[in-house]
Amino acid sequence: MAASLIDPSRAPVAFGRRAVPQLFEELQQRPEAARRQRALNSLCDLMHDPERVYQTVTGGFLEQVKVLFQDEDADVRTKTCDLLHVLTSHSVGRQALLSSSLLPPLSQLLDDPSSSCRRSVHRVLKRLTLLPAGADALLTLVPKLMLKLRQEKEEEEVQALILSTLSSCSYQDPRPALANDGVSLLGHILSHRSTNIRRRRPSLMALSVCRDGKEQVCEQNLLPVLVGLLQDEDLEVQVNAVGVIMFTVTITTGKQQCLDLDVLPVLLDFVPKKKEEEEEQDEERRRRRKALVLYSLRALAALAEAPGGRHLLLEQLPVLEARTESEEDQDIRRSAQSAIHVITWTP
Amino acid sequence: MAFDSHSQRDANGSYTFSSRPRPVENRSKYREPPSEQMQNYGNIMYDRRVVRGNTYAQHIIPTMVPPDPAETQRQQEIRRRAIARKRAREQFRSGTPEALQGRKHIDVQTELYLEELSDVIVAADIECQTDAFLDKPATPLFIPAKSGKDVETQIEEGELFDFDVEVQPLLEVLVGKTIEQSLEEVMEEEELASLRAQQRAFRELRKKELAEVHQLQEQERRRTEEKGHRIAQQKEVLKKEREVAEKIAARAYTQQYLADLLPTVFTSLRNHGYFYDPVEKDIETNFLPWLVVEVNNSLERRYTAREMLDTIIHDVAQKRLEGFKEPETQPAKPETQ
Repeated sequence: MAASLIDPSRAPVAFGRRAVPQLFEELQQRPEAARRQRALNSLCDLMHDPERVYQTVTGGFLEQVKVLFQDEDADVRTKTCDLLHVLTSHSVGRQALLSSSLLPPLSQLLDDPSSSCRRSVHRVLKRLTLLPAGADALLTLVPKLMLKLRQEKEEEEVQALILSTLSSCSYQDPRPALANDGVSLLGHILSHRSTNIRRRRPSLMALSVCRDGKEQVCEQNLLPVLVGLLQDEDLEVQVNAVGVIMFTVTITTGKQQCLDLDVLPVLLDFVPKKKEEEEEQDEERRRRRKALVLYSLRALAALAEAPGGRHLLLEQLPVLEARTESEEDQDIRRSAQSAIHVITWTP
Repeated sequence: MAFDSHSQRDANGSYTFSSRPRPVENRSKYREPPSEQMQNYGNIMYDRRVVRGNTYAQHIIPTMVPPDPAETQRQQEIRRRAIARKRAREQFRSGTPEALQGRKHIDVQTELYLEELSDVIVAADIECQTDAFLDKPATPLFIPAKSGKDVETQIEEGELFDFDVEVQPLLEVLVGKTIEQSLEEVMEEEELASLRAQQRAFRELRKKELAEVHQLQEQERRRTEEKGHRIAQQKEVLKKEREVAEKIAARAYTQQYLADLLPTVFTSLRNHGYFYDPVEKDIETNFLPWLVVEVNNSLERRYTAREMLDTIIHDVAQKRLEGFKEPETQPAKPETQ
């Protein structure tokens, strides 16, 4: 008996197929909180195996999870959310979670008094949005999440999670977020100190894809802030800022504002091949740089549509041509060529 | 007694019956129900009815039924009848006829192989008796003769089981499996990471293309708008031109139409008498009517005069006529002249 209690924080696990059902039965008998936590710990460990995930899902044990949500002990609730988090790492689990009616109780837990519980819930939601159907299902939760963001009494990690969730949902369908005044909220967050938060700006990019979003971005004068962000050290933030600009300059107002703000030199600065880029060893950073270059080229092409922009860019044409010739990467070359094409277009 | 038995219908519909084993109760044939409930299911070991011990040469004790006089009588009757029957049977059996005088019947064997029949069984008595048990003497130690070589062997301490050697395969398996699993996990993670990186690259490309699409859309939109404007403008221009042309045409026509308006007007006015010489007009309007009127008047007077004259003449004529008519009656009428 001592052997099975090697790890006192985990309940003993039965062998083979019996493991998951037995743990759930133990939970069903409602023992005291400590034992429940141990059982949940063991379950979390077991769920890393896809076979067990499948067993849990097909065995219909998710109903019991609903019961556990209303448990009075906060740790038990947190652990249940962690269990769901592990469950959603696998596609079968995600789909089961969506098809079962666990989402409403889960969203009720968002208002839970315990902060760790809320964090776990947000993690689950974020994982759930990896699936497009999941993002669809979470669209109804978007207003609530935005409300949470606005209240700002959450910690950073939670805010980052919420922003990721929101961005995935907004890629699916930006309308709910926009309807809830998303752009102003995100603009407010832009000036947040933490790099982590600013990284989550894909949500802003997602919003600006939709036309109304672009107009709102222009209306609310977010462009100066974005231009300021272009000078940021973190590559991710730069990439995202350029992305938003890229979308915003497709509408005329955006073009005007950008030209007023004198964005062109900054963007042009990104384009030419810098020496450190060639030395860049890290695959990751090279890829991000490539994204940066692509977006800048696209933004320049869009800006070239406006006569003022074209005028300025005609002077800078050699730079772009230099980029075209020396580039091995197909995508960059293509975008540079299209930019040149736009610039040199004459009616 | 029937309480312990089960009879029921099976699932297939077949009938089964089972009951606990029980010894048969001793009852008379034409029976009354037993007065008291006997100990039917007592232990068989202590049942007095069960025969114990060797039964080969046992005298069969009649059953302990209380002797029923009717029963005994009946049995005696049966015995008597059996004896009588036997006697009757012997009487009617035809045995071999009696031997003639001076002869005797002897049984003879007629088989192939004769055998001796005798009543006396040849028996021999043999006795034997074992000696009384003596104590068995101690068996001498069996020492086999020595043959072959003496060989010794001894197992040293580490020879049967060397832990290090034995544990090696176990360790290999354990470590190998752990490393394999961890390698797999690492590979999976790496695969996931590369997948995600690919996804991200794709997404970026896609965003860029999306921006391009948007831009092209905007372009298209602007162009169509522009086209629309230009077309509208052109239409306006055309319309204006047409209007102007129409105006010019109208103007030319009118001019032409009205070209000889003036002479016509003048002609017609002149024709209508709007341009007049005042003296002439005056003469015409004033003098001539007066003249005509005067002429008329004078003419009228003349006519009146003439008419009067005519009347007078007529009258005269009439009168003359009458006068002429009368003269036929009055021929002496003076001619009034």
